[in-house]
Amino acid sequence: MSATSVERPVKPASARKNAERVPWIDWMVLPTVVVLAVVIGYPVIYTLVLSATKYNMLDMVPPKYIGGANYRHLFTDPIFWTSLRNTAIYTFGSVIISSLLGLTLALLTESLTGWRFRSVRALLLTPWAVPFVVVAFLFRYMYLQNGGVINAVLLDLGLIDKPVLWLNNSYLALPAIMVANIWAMMPFFFLLLSAALAAIPNEVIESARIDRAGTWSMVFQIKLPFLRSALFISSLLMIISNFNDFAKIWAMTQGGPGYSTTTLVVYVYRLAFENFNFGYASAIGVVWLVLLLVFALVYLRAVRVKA
Amino acid sequence: MFRLSKMARRSAFVASTILSLGMAVTVSHAADKVTLTFANWADAEGATRPGIQAVIKEFEKENPDITINSQAISFSEIARQLVLRVRSGNPPDVAEIAGNDTFLLAQTGKLAPLDKLIDSKTMAELAPASYEGYKVDGKLIAFPWTLAAAGFWYDKAVMQKAGLDPNNPPKTIDELMKDMAAIKKSQPDVIPLGLDTTNRAFSLQSNWPWMKTFGANPFAKGGAKSEAMKKYLSWMRELAKKGYIDPGRKIGEFRPLIAQDKVAFLWDQVLVQGVIQSTNKMSDADFYKHYGVTTQPTGPSGKSYSFEGGHQLVIFSGSKHQKAAWKFVKFLATSPYAIEHYTLSYEASLTPLKKAPSDALAKKLDTPVFNAFTSTIMPTVTTPPYGPKFAPGSTAIMAGVQQAVTGDTPIDQIAASIEQNLGN
Repeated sequence: MSATSVERPVKPASARKNAERVPWIDWMVLPTVVVLAVVIGYPVIYTLVLSATKYNMLDMVPPKYIGGANYRHLFTDPIFWTSLRNTAIYTFGSVIISSLLGLTLALLTESLTGWRFRSVRALLLTPWAVPFVVVAFLFRYMYLQNGGVINAVLLDLGLIDKPVLWLNNSYLALPAIMVANIWAMMPFFFLLLSAALAAIPNEVIESARIDRAGTWSMVFQIKLPFLRSALFISSLLMIISNFNDFAKIWAMTQGGPGYSTTTLVVYVYRLAFENFNFGYASAIGVVWLVLLLVFALVYLRAVRVKA
Repeated sequence: MFRLSKMARRSAFVASTILSLGMAVTVSHAADKVTLTFANWADAEGATRPGIQAVIKEFEKENPDITINSQAISFSEIARQLVLRVRSGNPPDVAEIAGNDTFLLAQTGKLAPLDKLIDSKTMAELAPASYEGYKVDGKLIAFPWTLAAAGFWYDKAVMQKAGLDPNNPPKTIDELMKDMAAIKKSQPDVIPLGLDTTNRAFSLQSNWPWMKTFGANPFAKGGAKSEAMKKYLSWMRELAKKGYIDPGRKIGEFRPLIAQDKVAFLWDQVLVQGVIQSTNKMSDADFYKHYGVTTQPTGPSGKSYSFEGGHQLVIFSGSKHQKAAWKFVKFLATSPYAIEHYTLSYEASLTPLKKAPSDALAKKLDTPVFNAFTSTIMPTVTTPPYGPKFAPGSTAIMAGVQQAVTGDTPIDQIAASIEQNLGN
């Protein structure tokens, strides 16, 4: 372009905004909206409809409208409340512990460089690469009372005098599954927090050192405030993910012994696909959806605030 | 433009006529050829796949007008998939099914009644006990394929080591408790009794005879809170507390263990012999010296019970080829080829026939294990109250059993909770 070419006049901001909002561009999102309506909207609406019906797939009769009876039944269903409590313990317990462990490991390995860092990071990330079902079976066999490696080691060390029923004790089963879950989830936090630590500006660290900040004050006063946002968002993501965790629990205990590891997702699965009671299962599904929506909204808001 | 000679035109006409007729015959043959869809788990499991594929191949050879499209679905998935397929109007022609799932499918009303398809000769050849349990409203809804009742297996080597008489297995619950105490004392690493205490419909099916021998019926009104049920739950707790059972294991997980003398008594089906022998490579003669099977030790009711865990075949009413489907079902369950190459070789189970269809098969069926099952165990078979309430009920009952086995909750409270969850 020659220097003599005429420069285009700069449009005012309002004019630019109007130009962007040409109707045909709005219509371009229609296919996406249609796809979302079919794959997300329809199942959600259909679940809402089913939740107000008496519908057993084996009866070969159409769903019968019963209003809010399924929801009223929720209040008197002790298994639902046990499942809800177990879901909360499993989800929040796993996320809190694995995030703290991930944070600790990220801080401990922060100063490593070169091949040392690469080796440690590769080792710490290994559990994340193992499929969840494999993790579940791995731990299930490790926990066995007869022949399980954990009991064998503890017996050899003299820490216990008889095998512990890790997965077959009403009080130990849920924490035992959580250990497997924490082992599998911890690398996610480690990876994210390592990246967030690396992103802390050097000037900030240098200034703190000049100000003679000790190790603890460096962690608590300088690094943690920088990690807060990454920690919050990753925790929310994992809360949503753990709320839906089915594979590990099903493969390890199928919700037992008794109902001690039955979470909402396990309960819904049993109701829908073992008893074919789709009406009541849908009502629990709706409650579950609402709870997840709350977390999703908090997550979206957090992301927006961060942006 | 060229002109064909008269001879050439005639030849072309004859050739085209022959070709057309040939094509018509081929098309008509193709139209006559029937393809049956067969949903089954035999083809999904590595252990039975070669057997079922060989039997299907043999059937197709004997019936060139029928092709079998085998659809492999895992055992744990098949009921769900069949119900969904029935609901969506896309059921297979024939399916393999077992236990409560047979009755769940029957509830959909989409199973073809077999009475009209079965000829009287075949019916007369069947042992009545093999099919009586599959009648719903007087109609036969499933055909017995393999019979696999549960028996009380005992490891004679373990018993001998414990100072017990290996040829005198316990006959009552009291004797059983004494024997298990001796076994636990002499061999602490041996699981005295292999019992399935997982929470699934099969577990209730497996535990049902134990509840029955205590006189319990949790499905009856007030049954879960009855004294008999509480006695059964207390006994289960005692077994766990004394370390006589290994809770949480599926029945299949005990099989390799008994093959290694790590389980003393096992409550399991007839097919266990095949699993043990495939694990420890024992000859038949050694197996019979090492293991035995008998009826369940009796509880307070004074009676032994068993459950039938064999597989059935069903034909769907939507099938357009019901006669061909019946031909296939009959072949699988009663033909000498299928009995020899599948029922005995791969399932190690009994047949629904009153007597073996050939002398060679009769000889194969004349073993101490098959004889024990046929003469003493099969008559003790009891059918649990299968139906729509069984699956949800099994979750409630087995959850209670697990609570009794693994926790300290008072038995009265567990029994009341089962009663509440059953909605009795």
